Amino acid sequence: MSDRGLRIADLHCSVEGNEILRGIDLTVEAGKVHALMGPNGSGKSTLAFSLTGHPSYHVTAGSASLDGEDLLALTPDRRARAGLFLSFQYPAAIPGIKVPNFLFAARQAVRPGELTPAKFRALLLEKMNVLGIDPSFLGRYLNDGFSGGEKKRLEMLQMAVIAPKYAILDETDSGLDVDALKDVGETVRALRASDEGKEAGFLIITHYPRILQHITPDVVHVMIDGRIVKTGAADLAQRIERDGYDALREESGAIA
Amino acid sequence: MQLPDLLSPQERSAELHAFEQTRSGREKPGRYWRIDLETLAPSAAATVAGGVTIENSHARAIACDLRTAAKQHAHLLARAFRAAIEPRQKFAHLALANCGLGAFIYIPADCAFDQPIVVRYHAEANQAIYPYTVVLAERGARATIVERLDVGSNAFVTGVAEIVTGDSADVTYASAQIAPDDARVLFTRAARPGRDARVAWASADLGGALSVSDISIVIEEPGADAQIGALFFPSGSQHVDIMSSIDHRVGDSTSDTLVKSAATDRGQGRYLGNIRIAALAQRSDASLRDDALLLSEGAHIDSVPALEIAANDVKAYHGATVGALDDESIFYMTTRGIERAQAERMIALGFFEPAIDRFPTESLREELRAALQAKVTT
Repeated sequence: MSDRGLRIADLHCSVEGNEILRGIDLTVEAGKVHALMGPNGSGKSTLAFSLTGHPSYHVTAGSASLDGEDLLALTPDRRARAGLFLSFQYPAAIPGIKVPNFLFAARQAVRPGELTPAKFRALLLEKMNVLGIDPSFLGRYLNDGFSGGEKKRLEMLQMAVIAPKYAILDETDSGLDVDALKDVGETVRALRASDEGKEAGFLIITHYPRILQHITPDVVHVMIDGRIVKTGAADLAQRIERDGYDALREESGAIA
Repeated sequence: MQLPDLLSPQERSAELHAFEQTRSGREKPGRYWRIDLETLAPSAAATVAGGVTIENSHARAIACDLRTAAKQHAHLLARAFRAAIEPRQKFAHLALANCGLGAFIYIPADCAFDQPIVVRYHAEANQAIYPYTVVLAERGARATIVERLDVGSNAFVTGVAEIVTGDSADVTYASAQIAPDDARVLFTRAARPGRDARVAWASADLGGALSVSDISIVIEEPGADAQIGALFFPSGSQHVDIMSSIDHRVGDSTSDTLVKSAATDRGQGRYLGNIRIAALAQRSDASLRDDALLLSEGAHIDSVPALEIAANDVKAYHGATVGALDDESIFYMTTRGIERAQAERMIALGFFEPAIDRFPTESLREELRAALQAKVTT
């Protein structure tokens, strides 16, 4: 099917009247891992929020589709049910909603009717085991009182449980130690190895290349000032580590 | 045989007079408030009646109706009856003037009862009832009491619950009121914990056209721990008026007040939260947390926490919020495929969970969740 993939074409997005994305073209194919790198403020998170439909992010031109479905015409919950997932950099804390109840509601919404509560619980415990998540998470409220690292682990647990068609990881690596980074890599690997996730595509948004030692990308994009200025293979990430973003900025002639 | 009455005719008329003379301590918070507590009284047509059933599985406890207690356990009853309420509590005077229906719970020393004792008050439609529960827990006793109200349409309920404890006792008293939409329900709840004792009120006001609660704990013995957990949720055109007060009269005592409220439709709510720490009550530790959630334009909640602290070596925490549902929380949940309306319901119900946690049994907690769910779904 030719329209498969998370397809973004000439996407422009404004926040509070300021244009942040100035024409993004990017396609994440099913089963592939793309990395999106760029300095702070280049618009990486804006891309994530405009694709998931945050009300403050206004798409002013361009298109985005998921396996042929027009994402921009859908409400955020329908985008998720179409198969899109975002691992938040700063997930909301919601007291009073227990982690397993939330995960069950999310799983039922995205993949309705597939699991009984008992089977869901078995699945949840299995995914928690892969992620090395303490069983005490089950008794806690959603992100409430969680450390930064715990929040990231819970985002990864959600991704594992929902098994989306396309997942955007927005700086999931930031603030994580080496062990936690490994667990993120392991979660992505486990999802890709599963029946539900073997066709999943990933867009890994990151500032630093080190996460890419744990998840090898098929394609690396570099975003500067709201545009993709360079696209290459995995070795592009190593070049950035060596030379920094400024060299690319000059090379591409990007203007602020 | 004529039973000894709880109060003499002279005492009853004095109480009625006190009711008429005592100010409620609650002014109308604004023009939107349609209830005037100073003039509130049952309609003349109301017939005084009602009944009580008590479920008690503990052979060593005394759990009987109030008139039986006055006859058979007069000396015990006298230690707790009218011992915790205060003269300022206007509607306790009205309940006393009409006192007859009620329950007496006595927990002997060092008895620990896990299974709650359930006191259920009944009234038919259009009846006025004056239920009066008295709890006396001796030294080292531990018990949980659950009070339920099963009343008909247009009932008028003016009730009192009093708790008096010995040293190191531990009493939890939960009341969950889901009365018909046109009932009026007013309760005064007052407790005096002994030295190193713990008293916890858990109170839910979800039914009734008007629901008024005055919940208090007076600490006169060191080491006492006082807890108040309350939740209310006016919907439709309900009015809910809750006042809580914890009075630290001696030091080395702790208290914790948690109030969670929401309002929707044209529901009106008001919470007055008082913490007083007397000059001599050094090393008191008091916490007051009160959060209100407004779910529609026409709904209103007035929240007035007040801390009066006269001692200088104390810990006192106070936090209050009033607001709508958080947009970022809703967005986050919808990115997981959950529909917006369901996300809003889940967040609103979750908001009450810390208060629901104060209730002692899972079946009661589930009943509260179902009643709250019904309010956020309509």
